[in-house]
This record gives sequence, C-alpha cells and structure tokens, in this order.
Amino acid sequence: MAKYILEAAGNINWMALFALLTFLFIFLLSAYLIFKKDTEILKHIEELPLSDGEHLHIN
Amino acid sequence: MTKVETFSYDNKIVRDFGIATTLWGVVGMLVGLWAALELIWPELNFATSWLTFGRIRPLHTNAVIFAFVGNGIFMGVYYSLQRLLKARMYSDVLSKIHFWGWQAIIVAAAITLPLGFTSSHEYAELEWPIDIAIALVWIVFGLNMFGTILKRRENHLYVAIWFYIATWVTVTVLHIFNNLEIPVSMWKSIPVFAGVQDALIQWWYGHNAVAFFLTTPYLGLMYYFLPKAANRPVYSYKLSIIHFWALIFIYIWAGPHHLLYTSLPDWAQTLGTVFSLMLIAPSWGGMLNGLLTLRGAWDRVREDPILKFMVVAITAYGMATLEGPLLSIKSINAISHYTDWTVGHVHVGTLGWNGMLTFGILYWLWPRLYGTKLFSVKLANTHFWLGTLGTVFYTVPLYWAGWTQSLMWKRFTDDGLLAYGNFLETVTQIIPMYSLRALGGTIYIIGVFVMVYNLWKTARQGTLVANSEASAPAREKHVPHKGEHWHRWIERRPIQMLIGATVMVLIGGLVEIFPMLLIDKNVPRIASVLPYTPLELEGRDIYIREGCVNCHSQMIRPFRSETERYGEYSKSGEFIYDRPFLWGSKRTGPDLHRVGDKYPHSWHYNHMLDPETMSPGSIMPPYPWLLDDDIDTTYTAAKIRVLQTLNTPYAKGFDEMAVTKLKVQAESIAKEMKSQGVQQEELAQKEIVALIAYLQRLGTDIKPDPITGSK
Repeated sequence: MAKYILEAAGNINWMALFALLTFLFIFLLSAYLIFKKDTEILKHIEELPLSDGEHLHIN
Repeated sequence: MTKVETFSYDNKIVRDFGIATTLWGVVGMLVGLWAALELIWPELNFATSWLTFGRIRPLHTNAVIFAFVGNGIFMGVYYSLQRLLKARMYSDVLSKIHFWGWQAIIVAAAITLPLGFTSSHEYAELEWPIDIAIALVWIVFGLNMFGTILKRRENHLYVAIWFYIATWVTVTVLHIFNNLEIPVSMWKSIPVFAGVQDALIQWWYGHNAVAFFLTTPYLGLMYYFLPKAANRPVYSYKLSIIHFWALIFIYIWAGPHHLLYTSLPDWAQTLGTVFSLMLIAPSWGGMLNGLLTLRGAWDRVREDPILKFMVVAITAYGMATLEGPLLSIKSINAISHYTDWTVGHVHVGTLGWNGMLTFGILYWLWPRLYGTKLFSVKLANTHFWLGTLGTVFYTVPLYWAGWTQSLMWKRFTDDGLLAYGNFLETVTQIIPMYSLRALGGTIYIIGVFVMVYNLWKTARQGTLVANSEASAPAREKHVPHKGEHWHRWIERRPIQMLIGATVMVLIGGLVEIFPMLLIDKNVPRIASVLPYTPLELEGRDIYIREGCVNCHSQMIRPFRSETERYGEYSKSGEFIYDRPFLWGSKRTGPDLHRVGDKYPHSWHYNHMLDPETMSPGSIMPPYPWLLDDDIDTTYTAAKIRVLQTLNTPYAKGFDEMAVTKLKVQAESIAKEMKSQGVQQEELAQKEIVALIAYLQRLGTDIKPDPITGSK
C-alpha cells in the first residue's frame, strides 16, 4: 500500500512522504500528550457544557 | 475567595439567527425542490431566464449552505460560546451588524444569482462586491467571537470553541484565495488563476467549504448540544482533542479528490486520495464519540425526538464520511464522478447531518429561549420520521440513478461500439429516479413545515427571554507552574490556538497549491492553443451567465468510454486561457469539451431555441432570449485589458479593436447560418451568435485538421 502510494506520487515523492510523516508525527505526539493529561482538568473541561451558570425557568 | 459576578446571556441574537435559519432553510429547500422538478419538467422555468435550472441550482446550493446552515452555525455558536465562556457576547452592536449584514448578503445572492451574475466557481458563485461584503461581515463575526473569548470568565476553552476558531480562520483563508479576481464591471470579474490552477484552488475551496462550513462548526455544535440534550458529558474528551487536531490537519489536503482523472497532475490527485482515506479515522472517531455519549441513555432516545434527530445526524455524518473517502478511490471515482451518486452522497451529509442536527438543536433551543415547553413532542416525532424518510427517499433513487447512468456510459457492445452512443438514452433512463428524488425532497420539506408550525406555537405560548440571567465566579488569574501540561497552556490562549490551527490547515494548502502555481512543468503549454477571440469571449460569458456548467462538463477523462463518446481526452495545456475554468462536476447533459465543429451552426441555433427539436426527450430548457437579446459589448475592451494584465497574449492595442473584430466574426458566422437555412433579421447582433462562436471553438485547438491532419 505504502509503496503503491509513493510510486503513484511520481517524481514528487517528497510531498507524499512529507505529508504522511507530518501527520504521523502530529498524531502520535498529540495522542501521547493527551493521554498524559491531568484527569481533574479534563473532568472540569468536559463538564463545561453542563455548568453554564444560567438561572433558567421553564413554565 | 473569588467574587461571583452576575451577568446576562444575549438570547435575542440567538433567536434571530434561529428564525433566519428556519426561514432560509424553507426557501433554500423549496428552490432545491423546484430545481429537482425542472429535471423532470423543464418547462417549469415558465420560459423565463432567471428560473432556469442553470441559474437556480447555484441559488439552491448557496441558500442551503450559507443561508440555512450558515445561520444555523451562528445560532449555535452565539448560544454555546456565551455559556461555555460564561460571558455575554463581546458587543451587541457587532452581533446586530453580523446578523443584518449576513441577511443582506443572502438577499443580494437571491437577487443576483437568478439574474445570471455569477463567477461560476461552485459554492463561491457570488460576484466580487458580495465577496467583499462576506469578508467584512465574517471579520465582524471574528471580532465578536474573539472579543468574547478574551473577556471570558472560564479559563479553559472547551473543544467546541476550538472547532469554531478553526472554522473562522480556515473559511477566511479559503474565501480570500478562491475569490482573487479583477473586477471588469460592477457585476463581472475575471479570476486571477486560470485553467488547472483555478480548478485546484476552486476544489481546495469547494472541498473545504464542506469541511470547514458544513462539518467543523457542526462538530463544535455536536460537542456542545449533544451533552446538553443527553445531560451527560461527552464520552471521551481525550478523543475529542485527537478528533480536532487530526481532522483539521487532514481535511485541507483532500480537495484534489474532486479532480481525479482530470488534467490535474497525478501527484496532486494521489495526495487527495491518500488524505481522503486517512480522514476516515478522525471522522469515525468523532462519530463514535458522539454515539457513545448516549451509552446508558438509549432508553431516552426512544422517547426524546431531540436525541433521535441527533442520533440520525451523527449516523449520517458517519455514513457520509465513510462514503466520501471511498469515492476518493480512483477506481470508484471513475464510476461515481459526474453522476447523481455524488449528489446523493452530498445529500446524506446535508439532509442527514446538517439538517437533522439543526432541527434537533432548534427543538432543544426554542423552549429555552421562550421559557416554556415544546408545543408538541408528537409533532416533533412526526417531523423526525418525515425527515428520515425524506432523506432515504431522496438519496436511494439518486444512488440508483448514478450507478445506472455511469454503467450505461461505459457499456460497449460485442463489436466494440458504445452500447448507448446517444447520451440522451442514459438521461431518459433515470427520469423515474429523478421523480422519486423529488418525492423524497417533498417529504423532507413537509417535515420542515411541521417544525415551523411547532416552533411558532412554542414561541406563542411563551415569552422571549431576551437576556437570560446568569452568575459565575470572576476569572482567576492563572499562575503557571513548572512542568505544566502543554495543552493546558494552549487551552487558555485563544490567539496561540488561532495561530496553531492556522499553521495546521495551511500546511496542506501550501504543499499542494504552491507547486502548482510555481512549477511551470505542471501545466505544459501547447503551441496551438490560442486566446479566445472577443466574440468567443462574450459567448463564454453567456455560457457562464446561463449556468451551463451546472449540467455540462468540459473535461474528458482518459477512459476509452469517454474518448469514444467525446473525442481526445482533455490536456491541462488546453485550459491556460480559461478564466474561470469550466470543467464542471456533473453531467446531466453530455461533456462539451470537444463539441466544437461537431455540429453545424444551425444545429446549435435550433437546439437553443427548442432542444427537443434536435434531441427528442431532452430535459434541457429552451433559451429563446438568446435569439432576441443583443450582444453586450460595453465591457469587451475592458475584459481584454484585464486579461492582458493577467498575461493573456493579446497584442498591444487589441482592446481598442476588439469590438470591431467581434462584429466581423459575428457577421461571418451569421452569414454561414443563413446559408444553413437560419432566417432571422439582424442575426449577427444576437447573443446566440456569440454563444455559437464559443461552442464551435471548444476543444478545436488541438483537433487535427480533417484534410491536412495538421494543427
């Protein structure tokens, strides 16, 4: 698959390589850092939609 | 202890955008239904130019994308942004300018598109004054959004806001690049890029209009309104972060999948395919994150129409984002492209994802904005089933139509001849599917009318809570500490987030587009390809005005089935003077790239007067006004001057003699037409002659001379 992709890119192999490697780098880095993240902060952020401080009255 | 502050959320602006969403949704969908009916009964244009399919199809697409979904985005953003940041919008004045400015743009589009003022770039048809207005109003929206972010009481930016930021920055970049054009008059401009370069930038824009207008802001809305409606946090916040960064990075690369097998260089097509396939991962990650948010709450989905709408919307998102990458595989694209399969695919996304999520949000919001309960849950459930059935009835016949037509195009007899050599046979075969599609659209719109009634009654039984009271602690000043997590750092810094998102989306654009603009070998020149004559240029602008590109492509792919039917496949060097490019994306009629010299002038004359006389059973409408209206040469010289500025090699001083040359060529064509039996007074002055001049030129630059064989 990878070989086919790179061959099909013709004489501009560096572009396909650059694109794939950049994505791989960003994906792995973000995944690694995010799974190291402080769970308390995460808990706070994910609750934000549910705690808007609004005093709503539905009749 | 931090002081608790009392403030209010601006609900009126949310309500106003909600009304605009509903109103323009009805208008845009009705125009779409009308266009669908015209494909069955072309006479529904009532012999007027401004109601023809070519002119109202862009009106439909612009209305549903920018008026319906656009207002839906603003409605959701203005509601959720305030609450996620625990702050009122930065400026009520900016909110009002944004609202009325956007509505004015929509009205301007609704007037100018039927009048034929179009740049012909798909989903960016509006002419330059409106493009500038869009940019200004978009900046007002950005100022208001970033102003609110800066004055927030909540330190952390929830993931929905990241999606809003990425949307704003990317739409800004796309809008500017795809609308680089030089004005010729108040309602006519010429794009800076030509041919294959124009095509690449247009589909970089076109694809990312889907990505960053129909998808990323709606994902932001999903991440806010789904937890609200389900009353539980999103399934995995970590997954939402990966979803965000992976999606915005990958999406921007995928544009060239709209140009597979065209004259675009192979490396650009391959990049488009690879990144489209990679898109499945973040898209499905997002879909699963949405659906898994409802784990343990599926019993409520049975009862709650809002959750039903959201579940179908997220499922449609998953289906469309699986199908899109599959359609980007060359062997599948060879069958799907130019057919109704693509139209069906698009409508799974728009009717299913955008439509159903908008309806779910409206049903959730309206009672809260009016401090009351929804007027009728039963009617909302009825709407849900009408919407779902309408989507199915709309899309399935179009898939069937796409497969049928494409297979007919490609079928050969045992003798090696095209089995369906007459293109019209492949059109009449799918008319029953078009009827079913119109039925599906009708069902969907009936559902929308049910919703309008339900929301109107809900508003009537409550009172608008224009300013909703709220309280929250003042924002604490954060003291950074050693070893602080990078994401925690960036979450608090919207400007850095803006820059990060910009860099992410620009990487793909720069790597793909810059080589196309800078490397000459990507667009090989052909010595025999010359600029258009002034008459052909005016004819081309009539072709653009009438929206012919909406039904006719000008791009013959290198397949035996296409070269047998149309002639030599299209080369990128043939389009270097095409501003804008007119390759098209759908073949309701045949490709026209090699139509030049195929028929006599009189055939075109009679065909435009009444297509059925030359092609019995044709669904193309008549264009009698082209035989009555005179060619407008007011701006011919100005067009030549603009093209000279853009390096089209017209001789110095050619602009001054352009109209004279135009008249000489028109007289010559009119004379030939008379010899072919066309009897009409002052024929040389009529628009039909200019259009015929253009059509007869198409694809002839590299056609060998039938006698000498040279070109």
